[in-house]
Amino acid sequence: MNAVDTGWFRTLARLGVIAAVLAGWQLLSVAGVLDSSSFPSMTATMAELGRQLTDSDLWLAVWETVRGWGLGLLIGCSLAITIGTLLGLNRFAYLSVIPVIEFLKTVPVIAILPLAIVVWGATLEMKVFLVAFGVFWPLAIQTIYGVRAVDPVVRDTAAVLRLRGFRKFTTVTLPSAAPFIATGLRVAAAVGLILTIIAELVGGARGLGLSILTSVNAGPDRLPATYAFILLTGVTGVLVTTAFVALEQRLLHWHESQRNLAAKAA
Amino acid sequence: MTTPPRFEAPSLARPEPTGSADVPSTSDPVVAAGTTPSQQFTARSPRRRGGPLQRLKGLWRLWFFALVLVLWWVLSADSTSTFFPPLQNIVQRLWETWVVGEARSDLYSSLRHFAIGYTIAGVLGVAIGALLWKFQRVGHAVSPVLYFVYVIPTAALLPAIVAIMGIGSPMKITIVVLAAVWPTMLNTLDGMRGIDPIKLDTAKVLHMSPLTTVRSVVLPGAMPQIMAGLRHSLSIAVIMMVVSELIASTEGIGFFILEAQQRFAITTMWTGIIVLALVGSALTFLFIAVERVVLGWYIGARAVEQKG
Repeated sequence: MNAVDTGWFRTLARLGVIAAVLAGWQLLSVAGVLDSSSFPSMTATMAELGRQLTDSDLWLAVWETVRGWGLGLLIGCSLAITIGTLLGLNRFAYLSVIPVIEFLKTVPVIAILPLAIVVWGATLEMKVFLVAFGVFWPLAIQTIYGVRAVDPVVRDTAAVLRLRGFRKFTTVTLPSAAPFIATGLRVAAAVGLILTIIAELVGGARGLGLSILTSVNAGPDRLPATYAFILLTGVTGVLVTTAFVALEQRLLHWHESQRNLAAKAA
Repeated sequence: MTTPPRFEAPSLARPEPTGSADVPSTSDPVVAAGTTPSQQFTARSPRRRGGPLQRLKGLWRLWFFALVLVLWWVLSADSTSTFFPPLQNIVQRLWETWVVGEARSDLYSSLRHFAIGYTIAGVLGVAIGALLWKFQRVGHAVSPVLYFVYVIPTAALLPAIVAIMGIGSPMKITIVVLAAVWPTMLNTLDGMRGIDPIKLDTAKVLHMSPLTTVRSVVLPGAMPQIMAGLRHSLSIAVIMMVVSELIASTEGIGFFILEAQQRFAITTMWTGIIVLALVGSALTFLFIAVERVVLGWYIGARAVEQKG
């Protein structure tokens, strides 16, 4: 290990790259390579971002986005985990239903959006439905495979010990399915956010997506605001992903995959 | 002779969420599940193994699928609801518009943008992923920036890209590339990182040329995960293709659906939805077929390991 690989140097390099990207953006704008009527300068965007952060409309938009995302995720995930567990526990039901779920998983979620828009209009319900529908299929599949992925040795041990019913569920099924479900949840959270933004952009429901759209339509003067909103969407994404990764590490610290990570990090 | 990838430690290939912290890969749900593609195949292989006769035997499993379709047909038969027209009308309209009608041009236009965008995204994804693996220090340094761009929902970038590029093929292809490049890139990086260092050292000791090393060690080792990434990229590319048409376009499946919806031609809109659903699953099943050829050796090795 040499000096280049020490922790502080890495951090410095990362900060350097971030600074270089921001400076490069500004330089290109000032030099006129980026047309200011379609791509505002970095300083203008940051100034606008700073101004927006004190605006209550912005926080209302963030709240609307987070609310639609959260409710959709809650409904979609509860249904997926419940139904997935039930299907995973019964071989006949699993074999019968899996073709339908596998097929519906390949259907682009976005296909259902126009239908949701005519049924509900530009409302919270429309957003929630789209998110719930979108996260349901992949998470249900994750749960089914998780429930079915019990280690044969553990399963046989449970049989020898005559574990049944609820006890078997909490001591055998749930622990073996938990890592699958946790990762499914993490992916669902990210997908859900994307769907929320799409629902706002296309369906016109209130939220960050709509703010981006209206600021673009307001003409070139409002362009810094557009980019400020886009950056904010990114920040929301970072927060959401970080939160779910942290949750996963905390709840699953006992599982092999997380222990390997810890061993690697050490 | 290709070197088979490591079987012993699937968890090593697991995308790192933080830990030694780089671009977290929340790419393919199954891969990200702490299950490598290997486990994905073991979970599925039993129902796909065996000769044609055994496969026919499995057909009974489709009864539920058929039941769902029959129920839809019967329950919607006398439907007077505006939003849920009888399935029979939808199928009829589907035939009139998409098979004998001219809506096919919308399909071709969508598929063209998808194909170009997906190809570029796949090539770029593997190339950038490989470079980030090769030059690890650069990879570490740029990872926060990459991560941030990755996390921004690409749909949010759409209005800005429309403002820059206008509405046309370049804009749509750009959107597809921007969204679809990430899963492939991150999975390539993860897959290559998961290669057993001993194998790379062995290649060095044997004085393998860089090209031979890539062909016989790096690619076979990372291929299962690269394919998983490409598969996830595929579904994202389809979604972004439609979103770009929904927001700014005058052609394509997305435009067809949106236009029907705005005319309140609900039955026509349903045909668009069904065509889109069929296109999405056809592409996925095509990909699975290709994957089974490309990863045939790998799936075979897994099956042997399972029995042994």
